[in-house]
Amino acid sequence: MTDSDHNRWSEDLAAYMLGALEPEEAATLERHLEGCERCREEMRWLEPAVHSLPESVERQEPPKQLRQSLMAEVRADAKDDAREQARPAPARTRRWFLKPAVGFAVVALLVAGVVGYEVGKDDSGGGEGASTVVRQINGMTVKMVQEGEEGTLQLSGVPQVPPDKVLEAWVEREGEVEAVPALFVPDRNGQAETRIADMTGVETVMVTEEPQGGSEAPTGEPLMTMSVPQ
Amino acid sequence: MAVRREKAERLADEELMPLVGRKDPEAFEVLYDRHGGAAYSLAYRIVGDRAAAEEVTQEAFISVWRSGARFDAGRGSVRSWLLSVVRNRAIDFLRSRAGKAPKLDFDDEAALEQRPATELTEEEALRRETAAELRGALAGLPGEQSKVIELAYFGGFSHSEIARILGLPMGTVKGRMRLGLEKIRGELAEGLA
Repeated sequence: MTDSDHNRWSEDLAAYMLGALEPEEAATLERHLEGCERCREEMRWLEPAVHSLPESVERQEPPKQLRQSLMAEVRADAKDDAREQARPAPARTRRWFLKPAVGFAVVALLVAGVVGYEVGKDDSGGGEGASTVVRQINGMTVKMVQEGEEGTLQLSGVPQVPPDKVLEAWVEREGEVEAVPALFVPDRNGQAETRIADMTGVETVMVTEEPQGGSEAPTGEPLMTMSVPQ
Repeated sequence: MAVRREKAERLADEELMPLVGRKDPEAFEVLYDRHGGAAYSLAYRIVGDRAAAEEVTQEAFISVWRSGARFDAGRGSVRSWLLSVVRNRAIDFLRSRAGKAPKLDFDDEAALEQRPATELTEEEALRRETAAELRGALAGLPGEQSKVIELAYFGGFSHSEIARILGLPMGTVKGRMRLGLEKIRGELAEGLA
């Protein structure tokens, strides 16, 4: 790449970090970033400048009622959560698949079956009783490690996600779809991993790109969908 | 089980996040007390009125509460992450309230001086000093650079929208963004932050 080519990416990089690229331009830059260490290095160098912007604003005193109403909502939420945890397991299952607005990705998850092809079973790295399935899906290597009730979904070759997006995993069991609480993002080498606390009865696992903070239900086209051997 | 408030206060932000992920209100409250002021200030800077800033801040913190496990330490500090959540919420709010122009001034030092005195902790005093220096760094940019950065970061405009607003070629807008960020970065490297 010549210096003038690189300058073009450099200018796009600043606009990208300020959230000022159009979505398709941002996607193009993200693809470039995957293979360009020089640009990734520049991004790391410029990051403190972008992070300093919110710190530069005049300090305002937040109203007291903001803290009060926020904490009231949080405590009520925590109480509900504790109550739900005390119920038998199926009580926490969310029936998102019944909502028409969240149809696309959920339907994809429910009808997916086996997507991609199985590369093999790999028992290395797992303890006794661990099982590992490796598949190639949409250009990614997907490794599902199950040990007892717990599962770990390991992805490699994952495209970079924009700074305001995260990856969210979803599991389907008995026809119902649940979010996996731990959101995740790929590292600079395109590796990403999330833990699924309870794999009991999980038939399918899906990953979607969601806005920062995650979504209540999948909103985008799945990055990958994988059936789980029973 | 929730940690006690005093214990939560002794924890670093990165240590609080797993507790927030496990729905610990005390840990969350400490997080809000540390960063709520900066979050509300940023929301106010973007949306321009107090009621909207309050709504945006509350929504942002609730989304953090409900997705506390989603913070990725590999992508920067908790504070930067939190403020980016607030910024995104505020920009979404602006976009949904079409026609409202973002605030574009940095003439707020005087307002800061006139604010009623509140108890200043050493940490808060340091943050204010840093904020003033950063405002200086941004204000110290050539106007043409600070304007495009403000329109993008605080206004949520894309580079093509900014080009249209300012009547400039898109390449010029992107070039000014780059030069402006480089200059701020240079100031930081000299020890401003």
